[in-house]
Amino acid sequence: MLTQALLVGLVAMFGKMDNQFGESFFQRPIVLCPLTGLVLGDLPMGLAVGGALEAMFLGSIGFGAYVPPDEIIGGVLACSFAITLGEGPETAIALAVPIASLAVSIKSGFYSIMSVFARLSERYAEKGSVRGVYATHFLIGGIPALCYGLICGLAFYFGADAVKAVIEAVPDFVFNGLTVAANILPALGLAMLGRLVLSRELVIWLFAGFLMSSYLGVPILGVALFAVVIGMVQFNVLGLAGTGQPEVAEGDDEDDF
Amino acid sequence: MTRMTSRKGEGEPHGDQSPITRSDLIRASLNVGSLGLSFSWTYYKQMGIGFGLMIVGLLKKIYRGRPDDFAAALRRHVSFFNITMPVGPFVGGIVVAMEEQIARGELEPQAVQDVKTALMGPLSGIGDSIFLSTIRVVAAGIGISLCQQGSWFGPLAFLLIYNVPAWGLRVWGIQKGYEVGVGFLERAQRSGAMTKIVGALGIVGVMVLGAMCDSTVAVNLAVTIGAGDAATTLQQILDGIMPGMLGMAAFWIYYKALGRKMSPMVLILVTMVIGVIGSYLGILA
Repeated sequence: MLTQALLVGLVAMFGKMDNQFGESFFQRPIVLCPLTGLVLGDLPMGLAVGGALEAMFLGSIGFGAYVPPDEIIGGVLACSFAITLGEGPETAIALAVPIASLAVSIKSGFYSIMSVFARLSERYAEKGSVRGVYATHFLIGGIPALCYGLICGLAFYFGADAVKAVIEAVPDFVFNGLTVAANILPALGLAMLGRLVLSRELVIWLFAGFLMSSYLGVPILGVALFAVVIGMVQFNVLGLAGTGQPEVAEGDDEDDF
Repeated sequence: MTRMTSRKGEGEPHGDQSPITRSDLIRASLNVGSLGLSFSWTYYKQMGIGFGLMIVGLLKKIYRGRPDDFAAALRRHVSFFNITMPVGPFVGGIVVAMEEQIARGELEPQAVQDVKTALMGPLSGIGDSIFLSTIRVVAAGIGISLCQQGSWFGPLAFLLIYNVPAWGLRVWGIQKGYEVGVGFLERAQRSGAMTKIVGALGIVGVMVLGAMCDSTVAVNLAVTIGAGDAATTLQQILDGIMPGMLGMAAFWIYYKALGRKMSPMVLILVTMVIGVIGSYLGILA
């Protein structure tokens, strides 16, 4: 149990370190949950939970200064609880949402507290001390990463019994219901993203993608490739028609159907 | 911005005797600061510290033997900054080209601040729509469908599809930014190339989003119609008309609810309650 707690903590810390590695998004559930599954010896479960949580959290991402629910703590803890307690993916998904929402206060807490240290960088810069600026950089990022590891490790070590008690107290039909909800909830993640990207001109393409998948069974990659071709034609990216006026193409969407 | 263009026109933003080499730039685009822009993110200065560290080596070269000017330049660039991460080095390249002019006394230091501030918004807008709402969504869509099949390649596919363009843009962007300076953006804007690419990518993102409404969402009605051999579930009938239509319906219900400023948290809870009641009554499965 102790080793497992340590490993869970390390996975969470690794996830937080993503911010030092170009935000390559290995902090996302689709990577961290399989990793959690791997260290706890249940990769298939990690993959199932990772895929489901990624869809659910798809719309919750930091655009600008908006701080979304914390999918690192939420994903890692929920996944590891479900695995050690021998529960299915639906339990992990049901646990992830409340945990991620609680954890967001930890994340924004760090952002606020660390603002104090951010001022240090100015003082070092004024003195021309590059080393000082590096020190503030690693201090501001390192402390939260360390704490993420500690929080997840400790919560896993001490929380498993409590979570187990809760799960056992809850009747079966509730879990069936949560599974139903877990299958519907990705639509919420997609809708949150839709709020950011959909416009009047683009709605028709949402249906085009949907219909390709539902009636034709085209896999996602196929839809994406078709979309690239359509996008290039619509906006005359290759400049073949020679008009160079992308607006012209938008009025006659219906021609393509 | 006007101050900039009037001084340099369409010509080279930096002199031939520049100490900055191509490999200096590439190294800066992949250093601790560039890759860690969001590591030292705080409400107070967001990516400021990372930005300063990204170009600190280049500034040191530009202001060699002038410690006071170097300190002033470093101070300028640890101030507030925010951008879509892979686009950061592009701005870094522009800034370094301008700093060379400042070092030669051809430009006021304030100009570089103005340019940075002016670039942040539009470049983040373009960057977010390309990287966060298009490439990331396509990568997630493909990765999720592989995960659902239980393939360990899912996470890897996700990482590769997102990161190859993201890291490529870093390396290319810092060189391009340095080479052509701010003029590049104005030219791209005039030719309409940017609008075309962003528009085309918008279609890609939205079509994948639509496809995911079918492939990642599952709403299953368990209600049975008829009796005996003729019995069929409502779900089978709906699938016969349009597969996945309930997933699409769920998408629109959420979409409208979010438009009414309902919190995602509340919507999650409502969904869970509906799921529990629905499965208790045997309507949903």
